[in-house]
Amino acid sequence: MRESIVMKVHYGTALGAVALVAVHILFRLTQEFSKSLQYESVIANYEFLPYALVLELILVLISIHGFNGLRVILLELKQGRGYEKAVTYGCIAAMVAVIAYGSRTIILASMGMS
Amino acid sequence: MEKQENKEGIKGWLNPGRYGIERFAYWLMRLTGIGLLVYFIAHIYETSTILNGKAAWEKMLDLTQTTEGHIILAIVIGMCVFHTANGIRLMLGHGGIGVGKPGRPDYPYTPRSINMKNKLCIYASIGLAALAMMYGLGVMFGE
Repeated sequence: MRESIVMKVHYGTALGAVALVAVHILFRLTQEFSKSLQYESVIANYEFLPYALVLELILVLISIHGFNGLRVILLELKQGRGYEKAVTYGCIAAMVAVIAYGSRTIILASMGMS
Repeated sequence: MEKQENKEGIKGWLNPGRYGIERFAYWLMRLTGIGLLVYFIAHIYETSTILNGKAAWEKMLDLTQTTEGHIILAIVIGMCVFHTANGIRLMLGHGGIGVGKPGRPDYPYTPRSINMKNKLCIYASIGLAALAMMYGLGVMFGE
């Protein structure tokens, strides 16, 4: 993929994540902060389907943005054909692993399997 | 000698000084990005404990809902706000907004793109981050 397209994806995921993280934080502030973290409250959040979808979207957007950012930082530090390939594929693998692990939590918790 | 000076590696990357506030913003942008990625991964692990039941979740809360945990969260809030505000400045800059018109490079070769508007945005981003941290501390400790 061309680097200019990758950067457009980087900026797009950033803007999307900012909007959705704002919703995520506002959800914590709908009640007292410590109460919002209680087990029953968090499970109720997961079982509310639109909010579970927001969490999934945040997970995907931040994973793409975060690991692409890490890739850019690592490529600024050192260059070379083998190194660049290793960094790119390593970041993609880490991104997929984080999305898979986070999705597992969201799916199981929203189905009441906790 | 000259070659050695140019080969500072990570040590050079970690040094935020020498080139003014823009270099400091560049450094802070990367540092906050890495910090936020580390927090994000830790947060995903932290929330996954809910699948192990109420006892495991409360044990994790005992670990994170402490004074130290709140201070770390306040730092995360600050990093998040700076990264967002400075990121928007960079996006606009990459789109050609706020970087000035191109012109002939005359002595003392001051780059037109590094102007007062951009500097002000960097200071505003740092100020906003500090305010958000204070608000976050107020919410977490004010209960």
